[in-house]
Amino acid sequence: MAYEQTTAPGDPIEIDPVSRVAGALSLRASVDPAGRVSDARVMATTFRGYEVLLQDRDVRDSIFISSRACGVCGGAHAICSALAMEMTFGIRPPEFGIVIRNVLAAVENLTDHPSHLFLRAGPDFSEPVVRDTNPELWTRAQATAAAGQDTHGFTHVSDIMTGLTRFTGVLYREALAMSRTAREAYVLMGGKYPHPQTIVPGGISSTVDPSDLSLALLRVVKFIDYSRRVAAIWDDLVSFFYEADERYLHVGAAPANFIDLGMWDDPEAYDGTYENAAHWGERRWATPGAIVNGQLQTTKLPAIDSDVEEFVDHSFYEDWVGKGEQRVTEDPNGNPLSPRHPWNKRTLPQPGAPNMGGKYTWATAPRWRRHAMETGPGARLWTTALAGTLPHRGFLEPTGTSLRFGVPHTALPAGELEWHVPEVWNAFERNRARAYGLLHSTLVAYENLMIGFDLARIGGTESGIFNHYKIPKDHVIGAGYWGGARGYISHHIEVNDRVIQNYQIIAPSTFMASRDSTGTPGPFEQAVMATPALASQGHERHIDVLRAIRSFDPCMSCSTH
Amino acid sequence: MAYDVAGHGAFGGSREGIVHVFWLSGMSCDGCSVAMLGAANPSVEDLVLDRVPDLPLVVMHHPMISEESGHDLLAPYAAAAEGSLGAPYIVVLEGSIPDDQPLSAGYLAAMGTAGDFPRGARLGGAAVQPVRVTDWMIALAPRAAACIAIGTCATWGGIPAAAGNVTGSMSLMDFLGSDYRSARGIAVVNVPGCAPQGDNFTETLAAVVRYLDGSRDLPEFDELGRPAWLFDQTVHRHCPKAGYYEEGVFAEEPGDNQCLVEIGCWGPVVQCNIVERGAINHMGGCMVAGGACIGCTMPGFPDKYSPFYKSPPGSAISGGISKVTGGGIRRLRRMSMRTANSESIWDREDAGALDHPGHTGWGLAHGSKNPLEKINAHFYKKLQYRGSVDHGERNKKQPQPRSLDILRQKGVDLDASTDVLQEHVITREEL
Repeated sequence: MAYEQTTAPGDPIEIDPVSRVAGALSLRASVDPAGRVSDARVMATTFRGYEVLLQDRDVRDSIFISSRACGVCGGAHAICSALAMEMTFGIRPPEFGIVIRNVLAAVENLTDHPSHLFLRAGPDFSEPVVRDTNPELWTRAQATAAAGQDTHGFTHVSDIMTGLTRFTGVLYREALAMSRTAREAYVLMGGKYPHPQTIVPGGISSTVDPSDLSLALLRVVKFIDYSRRVAAIWDDLVSFFYEADERYLHVGAAPANFIDLGMWDDPEAYDGTYENAAHWGERRWATPGAIVNGQLQTTKLPAIDSDVEEFVDHSFYEDWVGKGEQRVTEDPNGNPLSPRHPWNKRTLPQPGAPNMGGKYTWATAPRWRRHAMETGPGARLWTTALAGTLPHRGFLEPTGTSLRFGVPHTALPAGELEWHVPEVWNAFERNRARAYGLLHSTLVAYENLMIGFDLARIGGTESGIFNHYKIPKDHVIGAGYWGGARGYISHHIEVNDRVIQNYQIIAPSTFMASRDSTGTPGPFEQAVMATPALASQGHERHIDVLRAIRSFDPCMSCSTH
Repeated sequence: MAYDVAGHGAFGGSREGIVHVFWLSGMSCDGCSVAMLGAANPSVEDLVLDRVPDLPLVVMHHPMISEESGHDLLAPYAAAAEGSLGAPYIVVLEGSIPDDQPLSAGYLAAMGTAGDFPRGARLGGAAVQPVRVTDWMIALAPRAAACIAIGTCATWGGIPAAAGNVTGSMSLMDFLGSDYRSARGIAVVNVPGCAPQGDNFTETLAAVVRYLDGSRDLPEFDELGRPAWLFDQTVHRHCPKAGYYEEGVFAEEPGDNQCLVEIGCWGPVVQCNIVERGAINHMGGCMVAGGACIGCTMPGFPDKYSPFYKSPPGSAISGGISKVTGGGIRRLRRMSMRTANSESIWDREDAGALDHPGHTGWGLAHGSKNPLEKINAHFYKKLQYRGSVDHGERNKKQPQPRSLDILRQKGVDLDASTDVLQEHVITREEL
């Protein structure tokens, strides 16, 4: 189009904004004469100050304020905030309330994952983009039969690429339609989307009747076949690129360091206490865990959370460590906490001109045992598969190296799918994991709706969705551990006399965006620096760098809040 | 030709037929973009694929949707601000405006590098990198055919402008000033909601686009710049729980079915249409699902509705009154419903073949009416049928059907029957 500007190969990369991600993300990087990317900086360019705003407010405002930090996964933040209040005030919601929250959380992924795979990442693999950057790949795709044709219906890989085209492609438009179908299921019990209106501490403020369950079910079952087709589509795309040029294995590559808090509580196990968090955490439909270099370190929520530290050396904030006394020296189990732990963090914004060697972003840098960690559906599948501690579930079975999905029939016959822990970790595997994550979320939504039908029959729908509570006047702390479409979400709160003293949010992209005190880049920057330039023309588009960064499904509004 | 469709897209008309939309994100959570993508009437693809014949083509420049990134994405923004776009454009702001113009360095919301910024336009302070969204807004607003604020942050400041904020956030109309008019003479259009109902935005955008294209008049906006047809009613008036309020019954805790005012619903004094329109495709909507209204469409949000989950002070009076009057109304209605829940066949003095008139297999056992009920029913019918045909009397004279209670009449022995499954099972394969 007429507006295009071009950059000569070898020029520094300056992509501001990176489009088709959530929130404001800017990328700066140097490129050596060989075309290798070095010194990448990912900048979060918006700051709103949610943590500062929440301080000194009535604690009852927590959910509706904190969840509005993110309009992409506001429901996940709302539930996380409710969990934090439940821990703080000793509230245990009834089983039906827990199950309906699970349904909402799973259905939120059903609107978000297709939006990423087809509206945000998908166009990078679409016909116009591939023809523009790698015409030889387009020719190859036209001659490559799609292995998953029986499932997804596309004859050649090129047909999939045509389907991925923005707005005109059938897969793009189907994703828009399916994301709306999932929203319909969501708003039946969540009221609205994004930013649901029914999440409360102690359960849910929703009048769920048999019609709501049925209408939600009829929408969720549409995702059973859809998610199988989506998995087959991404399997075919991934294989195609690997076979066309094995250097694609390096696009977006990052170490196998993962962190996840799990999601979807067991209605019989969850009691909201920190003391039992290791137990109820492991009973979730996705197993919490921390993985370093492919090795599982722990699946216990307190062990995961208590070793998190947050750094602001490269972020537009003053450091709080050394300013005043450490607020919380040990966790409720008596284990010592770092002054950099979220319960001790203070948010002290300090806007300034970006300096690539110094402060350059509004995102902070959380680390786990000082490792840069990755979050997301890949992390969620990986910890669940490796741990193998998932309780008996209707449609999920971890094997230690994979996660098996038993899929009920709808239009396609019943079958089994399996996500294998990959040998390499890169942009393609991230997208594939999200496709299987869609199936995971679908089956969790389905199973929880089944449980919901049972509970509605046993207990009646009005009596058992919310447990009454009183907010004490004491000085208390608590935390919510949860996951969204992009994984890891924690809210840490400190309350005195019903007024919030400190509110700290860690979102999935917070973990991944930027550098810590040692200058170690987060996964976003690592992935960009690992990416070779593989376009045969149109280098100025930096298509593989964009594929790398978009594969994380970054959410910068969430990340900086 | 009976109806001249020229100028409504059928023959291309005389107008440009293209309107650009430039999306800017201030202190935003992207929830408004997500809401827009969820809109179905019209949908974003209806707009950008030119599928509605009387709508001009909408060219959407949007960081979350666009193909291009960086310089390629922003070059049309600069062209618009410079006046070289060659088509009318609308600026849509999502998120509030931060008070970052006075900062000597840094930014609170930014997009693009100095090279992307229109030639000749002044950047706030030093050449700030990246460019502040506020600079983009100042550069784009004067030539814009319209400025639309989407969501409560952009319309009224919203949460980023709440008490305790450190960003000095404000609404678009406060930032541009009350004298601001677009190049086509329109003040800032406000579509509030946190997040807004998606259709509220796309429908308003379509209305503005039609006006800019010359095919329709500008619809009515209220004195706060809201689309009047969407926001002129309180949400309570169309609330499915408003009937509970009328009868004076209130939810005591979340999850209860009744009117939510006493657990913190502000619906009676909040202008919003989400319960009649639904959150999407006429499904959901806060109170429809059981969520109390926290006033997220209103300029006072959030602080004037805080703390959430506490009943609004005004409801002590209005709710108290409705408990007294509603209690009486509810009792009278219950009596009328008892009559209406009885078939005419059960009301006849001659039961016919029915052993137990007014009894059902589900446990209903209509006994005979007490004298008070009989008197009430008598006068109720007299009033109801006065000046018309008295179906009460006609029904009394109607002979009873002879097939009532037919299984008993035919001597069918239900106790001797067995479930078909115990006799013969046909599998799916055999079928």
